[in-house]
Amino acid sequence: MAGITPDQIITAVVAVVGVPLVLLGYIILGELVIERLPDSVQGWIRPYFWALPAVGFATIFMVYPLIRTVIISFRNSDDTDWATGAWGAFANYHYFFTFPDTLTSLRNSLLWLVFYTFFAVFFGLIIAILVDRVRYETIAKIAVFLPVPISAVAASIIWKFMFDYQPPGATQTGTLNALLSVAHHDPVAWLVNATTNNAALIFVGIWTATGFCMVIISASLKAISSEVLEAARIDGANEFQIVRLVVTPLLWPTITVVGTTMIINALKTFDIVYVMTNGAYNTDVIATQMFFQLQHNHNSRAAAVGVVLFLAIVPLLVVNIRRFQQQEEQR
Amino acid sequence: MTEVLARRSSRALALGLGALFVLAACGGGGGSSGGGGASTTDVTVWTAWGGAELKAFQDVLKPFESSSGIKVHLTTNRDSTNQIANGIAAGTDLPDIAPGPTDPKQVKDWVSKGAIKPIETALGDQFQAYISNTYPALTTPPGGASDDLYIGVVGGKHYEEMVKTQVKGLIWYNKKVYNGDAPKSFSDLLAIDPSKYGASKLFCAGFESGAASGWPASDQIDNIIMRQSGDQVYTSWIQGKTKFSSDAIKQGYQTFLKEVSPATVYGGTNTVLSTNFAKAGDPMFKSPAGCLFLEQATFITSFFQQDFPSLNLKAGTDFDFFAHPSMGQSQYDGNVNGFYDNFSMYNDTPAARKLMQYMATKDAQQIWANDGGTLGAIKSLNYTDPVFKRAADVAGSAKNLLVTAGDFMPSDMQKAFWQSLLNVTNNPGSLNSELAHLDQVQAAAYSS
Repeated sequence: MAGITPDQIITAVVAVVGVPLVLLGYIILGELVIERLPDSVQGWIRPYFWALPAVGFATIFMVYPLIRTVIISFRNSDDTDWATGAWGAFANYHYFFTFPDTLTSLRNSLLWLVFYTFFAVFFGLIIAILVDRVRYETIAKIAVFLPVPISAVAASIIWKFMFDYQPPGATQTGTLNALLSVAHHDPVAWLVNATTNNAALIFVGIWTATGFCMVIISASLKAISSEVLEAARIDGANEFQIVRLVVTPLLWPTITVVGTTMIINALKTFDIVYVMTNGAYNTDVIATQMFFQLQHNHNSRAAAVGVVLFLAIVPLLVVNIRRFQQQEEQR
Repeated sequence: MTEVLARRSSRALALGLGALFVLAACGGGGGSSGGGGASTTDVTVWTAWGGAELKAFQDVLKPFESSSGIKVHLTTNRDSTNQIANGIAAGTDLPDIAPGPTDPKQVKDWVSKGAIKPIETALGDQFQAYISNTYPALTTPPGGASDDLYIGVVGGKHYEEMVKTQVKGLIWYNKKVYNGDAPKSFSDLLAIDPSKYGASKLFCAGFESGAASGWPASDQIDNIIMRQSGDQVYTSWIQGKTKFSSDAIKQGYQTFLKEVSPATVYGGTNTVLSTNFAKAGDPMFKSPAGCLFLEQATFITSFFQQDFPSLNLKAGTDFDFFAHPSMGQSQYDGNVNGFYDNFSMYNDTPAARKLMQYMATKDAQQIWANDGGTLGAIKSLNYTDPVFKRAADVAGSAKNLLVTAGDFMPSDMQKAFWQSLLNVTNNPGSLNSELAHLDQVQAAAYSS
């Protein structure tokens, strides 16, 4: 962007050079002081001294905003007084849980949570197992993984073209409708039609996420010892039984981690909906709803949406971290 | 020995770094202060324009820069309203001049924080000339100057300088296809048989516009309501004082639904909802013609020409427009729908004032008119393009030049209003529930 002032350059230099220098100065000067303390005190104080910058940054940039968001969610939109209305100070939560628009977004987020998570993990698992058994595994994996590095905004624009609609009889420029016209079927307005639009959006999400699930599951699949599979074969199990009774249970911890990550992604979904429909025709999700509230200067309602979203995600984070810990212990 | 050396060197290092630490801290302090100042030689301007619109603006600025010696630092910023809002909240530097927001609540908020400076201050003794030269509807709310929450007027003071206008609600047609007269009334318009002219449907329409989908539909219903129920109802509706479920607004929705019924529009409902507004008129120029008419603002002419470069379409000979027909209430026939571009002053510097004064002059605005694609905000400009000449007549002869409703509603109301039009077009049976929902949004949007 044009119009960078000397002030901005100075600020940038200070941020890039100054901040690390300040940190280094903190450590070296602090160590000079600690060195002079008695040994017993040194051992006690040193970990706290080293952890302080990290804890400080986390407090300033994560804990404080979190607490502030919770407080704002109980305030009025100008943050001049506590919220009033139905449910008293919980007025913003009353709005969230009773207003038709937010309820629609809640319903859609649930749809995302169920279908996006299930299909992304399911396809990821199936593809990982299938490509494990073929010679062209790398190429197949690359093909499935390709959508992952594409930004969701770009993916949405690609799929907007795929879903494009032209009047019946005219040449269909959208790939899906072109296929339908080959089958002599009327074109479908995928993003307008209430029965297809949420499915279409979720499908784009699945398309971008399947590759990620596949890669993680595939890595864990490679870790399964071939002796285990051989033993199962010798015992007379067929390939379906091996997948169902041996491979899947062994992959289960990985599937849970991937699944919870996908659930968190589903709840955070924003870009695909924002770019493709902007929430029109009842396609809003919680995250777009939060953005719209902010955009419309309803800061306290946005904060309430954020708190609800946060509370929904916390149990999943706990499950995820527990799983990681269990896996660490197993090693 | 080595230990002593290591200690010494680490101490030296510590001292050096400590000194740097102090320097860095000072640098930080120095970096955040400074900036700005009341410049007489430089002015920073943000605009959302790109392409031909940006070029026209640069043409407007050229004579100013050479005659005044003031350097204009122009940046195209399509997110300027959000960025200025953030800048105001954070107390960081704002551009000297940038478009003012349309959302009346935002204008009021910024004025109360002292972020926007009055045009009265910017123009000084030229202010009266600005008021008398500019289309009155762009400077005076229908309810008088004290009528807040409208076109950048707060507490009787003006905060947005109008520089360009577009006339909306014009009915465009391909002159090679439609050779009839302008219909006298809206019902006459609906009664025209497209097959008589070899076209398959009466209207083309396209309501898709990315995140702003639905605005083209809102223009259509605005033009109905202002001529059906009058400017007072229209304005009080914008201000949130008339409910969506009221008879006047409901009647507007019902009339709008006649205009976009599947039997009337090219390609049917799904086509209308899936087609981008810029491409909506294309079927008019196909052979055989897909439709006879497209209702759209003056700016659409450049899209006609862009979409069919091989036809080399000429304004006035290949395509033309007639003004929005009467809704049968002759006392409201003088209500015309317009849109404007504005600039607000965020830093009161001598250079910014000079530029604001210059943009309000006839000389500056004539350059905009010459570059085409728009009307100026001043009444007495000359247009070489026959279509814009007539559009200026429409604007000039209007009794009331009324703004576009959605743009002046709080932004959540605007979004719900636009989407409701998409929803009723998709499913006319949902009209009553949509209107009830809009009442709910209205109550929530205007109260807090």
